[in-house]
Amino acid sequence: MIMLTLFQNFFSPPRDLILVVAAIWLGSWLAEKRAERFGLGLNDLNNIIYYPLLGFILGGRVLYVLENLPAFTSDLRSLVSLNISLFDTLGGLVTALLVAFIYGKQREVPFWHALDALTPLFASIFIGLSLANLASGSAFGMETDLPWAVTLWGATRHPSQVYAFFASLLTLLFLWFYKMPLKPGTFFLSFSAITSGWLLFLEAFRGDSVLVLGGFRLAQIASWFVLVAALVLLDRKYLE
Amino acid sequence: MQQIQRRIIYSILILAGLIWINFSTDHNSESTNGQIPAPRQNFLAPDFSLQTIEGETIQLSGLRGNVVLVNLWATWCPPCRAEMPAIQKMYEEYKDDGFMVIAVNMTNQDEINSIQPFLQEYELTFPVPLDTSGEVAKYYNLRSLPSSYFIDRQGIIREVVIGGPMAEALLRTRIESLLK
Repeated sequence: MIMLTLFQNFFSPPRDLILVVAAIWLGSWLAEKRAERFGLGLNDLNNIIYYPLLGFILGGRVLYVLENLPAFTSDLRSLVSLNISLFDTLGGLVTALLVAFIYGKQREVPFWHALDALTPLFASIFIGLSLANLASGSAFGMETDLPWAVTLWGATRHPSQVYAFFASLLTLLFLWFYKMPLKPGTFFLSFSAITSGWLLFLEAFRGDSVLVLGGFRLAQIASWFVLVAALVLLDRKYLE
Repeated sequence: MQQIQRRIIYSILILAGLIWINFSTDHNSESTNGQIPAPRQNFLAPDFSLQTIEGETIQLSGLRGNVVLVNLWATWCPPCRAEMPAIQKMYEEYKDDGFMVIAVNMTNQDEINSIQPFLQEYELTFPVPLDTSGEVAKYYNLRSLPSSYFIDRQGIIREVVIGGPMAEALLRTRIESLLK
């Protein structure tokens, strides 16, 4: 408990973002170690990480500005403000995907090979996000009286961020050390299936779920669709 | 693994996922009811009652029905100083629409003599209560200055901004969204 408090004090927002940046750095380093195994050159790997990352940052801000143009026209200094709240996350993600797609097309980077090579980065980002959530108290758990409950936001709750940290760490370790016969895409699809599986399971312990259709958790439904897609594609890959 | 075995396992996983989704529905909406006081988005804003430097008592819960920005600040904090003009500007623009600013000075970690000159320097006209005992800092789990809480007309925190300075566009988009 003391360790947790120290951790939360040290990485309290906005310093929690350091954990995500560190996870991206660690994930990039791990991806570099495995890139050649998946048939991707280091130059292409780095470009396919950092161009989309730049696209994410610029795209997220530009789209936010376009969506709220009157608020920015009255104060142009806000365009370059360091407030991360002035950001369209979905827009940033779409821009990053577009940049990655265009780069991949132009350089003729094989699609599944690239995704396989990037998988350690994706897995590492999940670890970083869970730690950032733990530091900021985001993605908090439901109320419980279990012995390992933590006191957060006025109640004793499931330590949902700790669950997510261990699940994401185990996913990365499993994928890193498990020697499976790899067909292009199976590494990424295995990661997708495992991650969507634990996200679906652990979402049940969250206290801040977005609810739809009379109580269903939106994140669980989204994870289930990803799980189905990953398993169907894995099955096809094994038949190839 | 044989194709049949693999498909059986995949089918079981998909079915188990569906069962778990149904089992873990939240029919009471207990995860989003916003009734527990906590300094967090979608939670009830922790109530406090403080005196301003002029001796006026300000109680947060007494401002229900207004959109409220609670800003925790200190005179020695550069980003706090930097965002004050924008907060004052927004206060003047939107106060007639039901927007209030409560700029709580963290007096227990500030120089009380420097507050009045600060208010005059920045020509601040919104209430500035003094947290002399650190009670608001404790209720709001203060770790960084400035910290800002956008509270809707029902008294529920809709956004928390830790650190600063807040850009004018950030203030304007949040205030306009909550005033709608």
